[in-house]
Amino acid sequence: MRIINLKKQLGRFTIDIPYLELASGCIHGFIGENGSGKTTTAKLIADILQPDEGKILYDGLDKRSVTMTAQKPYMLHTSVYENIIYPLKIRNIKPNEIEIDNMLKKHDLYEKKKQYARSLSSGEQQKLSLLRALIFKPEFVIVDETLSNLSAESLELFENLILEMQKARRITWVLISHQPHIINELCDTVHFFSNGRLLESGKKEQVFLCSQNPIVKTYVQRQTFGLLKER
Amino acid sequence: MLHEAFPDCLALISKVTAGDFVDIINEAIQVFTDAGIGDAVKVTLIMATCSVTISSFLGISLGLFLEQAHFPGKRLLIRVNHTLLGSPPVVVGLLVYLLLMRNGPLGELSLLFTIKGMVLAQIIIITPIITSMVHSYAVNTAPAVRAFAVAMGATKRQTKILIVKEMKNEIYFAIVTGFGRAISEVGSVMLVGGNIEGRTRTMTTAISMLKSQGIYTEGVTLGVLLLVFAFILQGAAGCFQKRELQNENY
Repeated sequence: MRIINLKKQLGRFTIDIPYLELASGCIHGFIGENGSGKTTTAKLIADILQPDEGKILYDGLDKRSVTMTAQKPYMLHTSVYENIIYPLKIRNIKPNEIEIDNMLKKHDLYEKKKQYARSLSSGEQQKLSLLRALIFKPEFVIVDETLSNLSAESLELFENLILEMQKARRITWVLISHQPHIINELCDTVHFFSNGRLLESGKKEQVFLCSQNPIVKTYVQRQTFGLLKER
Repeated sequence: MLHEAFPDCLALISKVTAGDFVDIINEAIQVFTDAGIGDAVKVTLIMATCSVTISSFLGISLGLFLEQAHFPGKRLLIRVNHTLLGSPPVVVGLLVYLLLMRNGPLGELSLLFTIKGMVLAQIIIITPIITSMVHSYAVNTAPAVRAFAVAMGATKRQTKILIVKEMKNEIYFAIVTGFGRAISEVGSVMLVGGNIEGRTRTMTTAISMLKSQGIYTEGVTLGVLLLVFAFILQGAAGCFQKRELQNENY
């Protein structure tokens, strides 16, 4: 996927990305301070927002196979099960009940299968939104801080799930996160955003260790300190 | 304790014989089966159902359209709709009367003093209410639903269906409000319908007429019936809300 001369004005905030390439089959990390344009760029990629200028070349990728989960996921006014199968329903795919039950069991949601989805805790809602996004086997997944409210155990489960999925069938991931260890452990490449612009893009070692940009350096130093604190 | 508080009342009740009770029931049945009252109830329900059905279709479509569409004059249109919310029914009735009168622009349709004419007046009164309610609910709900649906890969049609599904309770409340307004309206239906017995006399216009004639028993009966309708509607709305709250706090 390639983004060329992308511009989007939202009030006083402007996204301006001359070029960004997201290699397929890789796990990309979008990093940067709050309000730097990560989520807006992700929404443009997911077709939730339309660009004012420029274009996004999906390079043969079907737009319907791009999915995105949010930090505060939208839960349909129905049960956990109905939420999970929504992406299948709109594609006229018959749900595989055994597969769904196993998935729910693995992520401690089986007991709540018939429960009203909005009554789940925020962490459970995030888990459900991730499972819902993955159930139709998308080609491109954007995870916008969806892992932020998960317990350490659930987070590890999802990290393993992402890695297992990458082993079985390489899809493209974009992880937006402020948690340094997620970016460090999962991502192949990192894209640094600041004030609506893409400041740095490359292999994570290159961005984290060799960046000459003072804004990137300061951010990385803070995150490294955070990482040390986490350990 | 009850016996001490209301001794006279209980004494009176104890004196009511089975025969008296049957008489009371018969009297009530006679009032309810009176041709005039029965027709008024029928006309009210036909008029309210027709006008609410058409207004719901128009109001829901327009409310959702105003939330999604961007065009010059959109704010003005929303403001005009808000103004129409407060328009006095008598004024609407007068305008519809002028439109439908024999020499009016729509005089050839012969809709004056008919249920169809009354429905037209009701549509003008109720549609802005439903439009406004649906629009304000949609402004708060639809963007999140739309973003979710697009992220899940829904088509435009599937997205629209999902928005309506997710707003079903709010839409139901808007329809109930519209129905409540339709059955309780007097001014416009009196002017456009003409309060003709058996044809255009509604429960409210009948109450108004009975009061002016000093016939209070039937007037009160109709009033009680109207309250019963309102109670049933409110009860149904309450059931929806209760189910939603139970689900939320599961």
